[in-house]
Order: sequence, then C-alpha cells, then structure tokens
Amino acid sequence: MNISRRMVMAAIGAGLMMGAMASTATAQTVESIKSAGTVKIGMMVDFPPFGIMNTSNEPDGYDADVAKLLAKEFGVELQIVPVTGPNRIPYLQSNQVDLLVASLGITEERAKNVDFSEPYAGISISVFGATDVEVSKPEDLSGKTIGVARASTQDTAVTKIAPQDARIQRFDDDASAVQALLSGQVELIGVSNVVATQIETAAPGRFDQKLELSQQVQGIAVRKGSSELLTAVNQFIEKMKADGELNKIHEKWLGSPLPEFVSEAKQ
Amino acid sequence: MYNFNFEPVLAGFNQLLLGAWLTIQLSVGAMLIGLVVSIFCAWGKTSGPTPLRLVIDAYIEIIRNTPFLVQIFFIFFGLPSLGLRLSPNSAALFALVVNFGAYGTEIIRAGIESVQKGQVEAGTALGLSKVQIFRYIIMKPALRTVYPALTSQFIYLMLNTSVVSVISADDLAAAGNDLQSATFASFEVYITVTLIYLVMSIGFSALFSVIEKRAFKYPLSR
Repeated sequence: MNISRRMVMAAIGAGLMMGAMASTATAQTVESIKSAGTVKIGMMVDFPPFGIMNTSNEPDGYDADVAKLLAKEFGVELQIVPVTGPNRIPYLQSNQVDLLVASLGITEERAKNVDFSEPYAGISISVFGATDVEVSKPEDLSGKTIGVARASTQDTAVTKIAPQDARIQRFDDDASAVQALLSGQVELIGVSNVVATQIETAAPGRFDQKLELSQQVQGIAVRKGSSELLTAVNQFIEKMKADGELNKIHEKWLGSPLPEFVSEAKQ
Repeated sequence: MYNFNFEPVLAGFNQLLLGAWLTIQLSVGAMLIGLVVSIFCAWGKTSGPTPLRLVIDAYIEIIRNTPFLVQIFFIFFGLPSLGLRLSPNSAALFALVVNFGAYGTEIIRAGIESVQKGQVEAGTALGLSKVQIFRYIIMKPALRTVYPALTSQFIYLMLNTSVVSVISADDLAAAGNDLQSATFASFEVYITVTLIYLVMSIGFSALFSVIEKRAFKYPLSR
C-alpha cells in the first residue's frame, strides 16, 4: 500500500505546514510596507476579466489595475504574486503576500480567517432575456425555457427559484447557453454580469436583465488584526469610488459602470 | 485505495434510467427513419435520375466528411436563423437521422450493387412488377448481405447519441453529467453510465441477431 502511506505522509506534512502558517501569521501595517518599499499583492491570473495574463505575459485585469493604484497610493513598488482559488488565503496567512486583491468574495466563512475591506468589485447572477419577454418575478418563469451552464452557480440559483413547469435546459458551458439565447432556442438564460456584458456587446439592445438571483461582492483581504492597514485600504477604496477611478476600471474590463450594489455597499 | 460510494448513484438512478430511455428512443427512432432515408437514397444513387443522384452524392459527402458535433450544432444553433427552430430532442433526432442516413446509404448501395444483374433480368422474365423486383430481388438479398455492417452502424449511432447532451437533450450522457456535477461522485457515476451503455449495446446486438434469424433466413419466407 505505497499510495496510502504516501497520502498519510502528505496529510501529516500538510498538517505541519498549516500549523506553521497559523503560528507565523502576523498583523501587517502600512508602516512596514512603506519601509520595505514594496507591497506584495496576491491576485489570480486565471479569472478573466478580473485576473488574466496579458499578451506580454504579465498579470493584468481588473484586480491588477486596482493593485497598481493601491501601490501608487502607498507610494511603493508593486510585486504581484499569482495565487489560485484554493491557495489565496493560505498565501496571505503565511505572510507570502501583504494583501489579496484576488476577487475574493466576501463570505462569513472567510471573514473568520481574514479581514475584508469594503467591496471593490462584485459579481451578480441574473436571468437575462429578450426585451419583449415579460418576467419580473420567479413565478413568471412558468412555461418558459431557460438555458444555463450545467452545474454552475447560475444553474443552482435558477433551479432553486424556477416553478415546476419552467423548462431548464442545461448546456455544457456559458458559451453554449448564450448561443442558445442568441439563436432563440431558449427564451431566457441565467448568467453572471460578466457574461451579460458580452451579450450586450454581441447583440446591443436585444436583451435585458429580468431577475437578479444573487449578488456576490468582493473585497481586498488583509491578515486578521491588521486594522490600521485595513483602514488605509478602505480609505483608498472610498477615494477610488469617489474620484471615478474604480468606475473607469470597471468600464475598461467589464464594459459597464460600477454596479450600485458594489458602489453603495459598506463592509 | 479508492473508496467506492454508490449511494449518490443509487439515489439518482431513476434520472439515469430516464436518460437511458431517451437514448433508446432516439436510437431506435433515428435507426428506423434513417433506414427509410438510406433505402431511398440508395435507390436514388443506383437507379435514380442524374440530378437526384448529384444531390444525394453531395449529401453523403458533406455528412461523411464533417464531425457529428458540428452537424448537431449547425442544426440546433444554425437553423433557427433560417426560421427552423427545433426542440433539443427533435434537433437531436433530426441530426441522428441525417447522420445515419448518409452512412446507411453507402452501406445499402454496396448491398444493391452486389445483386447480380441476371437476377433482376430473371425477375423481369418471370413477369414481376418493378416494385416486386425492387423489394424481393434487390432489397432482400442486398439487406441480407450488408446486415452485419448495418447493425454495427446502428450500435455506432446509439453510442453517438451521447453527443446530443451538448444541445441540452436529456439523454443518458446528460443525465450522467448532471448527476456527476451534483454529487461529485464522478468515478461511480461514469462507471454506472458506461455499464448502462454496454448493456444497451449488447441487448441491441442480441435483438439484431434474432431479427436476422427470423427475417433473413434461407429459404426466403415471404
């Protein structure tokens, strides 16, 4: 049983590492970032349009633009550290990054492990359809065909609210669901605002939002207890919202102004 | 060791059976309609007028030289632009018929061409009508000759139905994908789905050999 022994060793190793991380997590201050001269910001590079690698193979996207502004605000060099969905929080906790601008959705569960700034971005999921289709409440979905990407968040959300006689058609991905909407094979689809923007570009004015199903705001994360840094980050976000810089970034990457549920939200 | 947990599969087994039922319906439907299309096209190709022959040739070449996935996307997503909007299940059936028809035509044509000219002349000499000659002297021996090829094409058709889940038809593959994405028991789900496909293929093969014995046994029974 070679494999199982290896797995046990891996588990022990992971346990030790987590112990080490937990013990080394220390609060971060603006002062120590400034004296280091560099701010290390963790961001995802596989989450378009928030985090991508651009054609010159450098991190880019919504998160990168926010990170650049933040470094400028602090007057320090920016060092972007690519992180992935599962390892973002461990990177922060083990002092490998000072902050996370990593499209981290603000959830209660995560707030136990990191401190969140006020929202700087957001993703909403909604039902989208042709402008002449009348849908204003979940019951109106009765008898309608709704396309979704199989097993996606929007699939779960639509399945939860749709009445029995709504026909939910599950496609392999968002692209096929959008194609089904554009070709008239489904009357409505459940999509995120990111995809909705792409639809608006492909077919301006033909479709609009019918029902909002869920909203997820994203915050900049700092290590637990870094209240002084958090205050500085919050001031930075408020300034970005007030002077329209964040709106510009949103326009650039998502093709629409910063949604109200992000700009109005407070942590 | 991997610990198998078939509980989620058992919980969703009805869903899989419903999917398998649609797979069977699509396969049998496409087989029967496709067979009619094939016989007509094979007749047209061997003894029809030249314009018809050219159209059939084009049909066969286009279908046999393009992927099924693209064909089904074209029918489901492309045809609505021309005003023909089909539900996922009808679009799936249509795509399967069109696909099977092209392969079936070539198989049956080979059978028809294997029938000796002298036999047809003998039929004419005996005073059989054109329809009788086509049915008893050409089609029956032709189908007997190519029967094994036709059945393997049918099994291939049945396995091909798994592609229709891309246009959201709820066949066995789609039911398996749904169940897998809800339970994350991918290994167990796909093993079960594989077994169901295997059982269906073997079942159909057995059915075909029964049909062969009853319908194509010598001497010819009318």
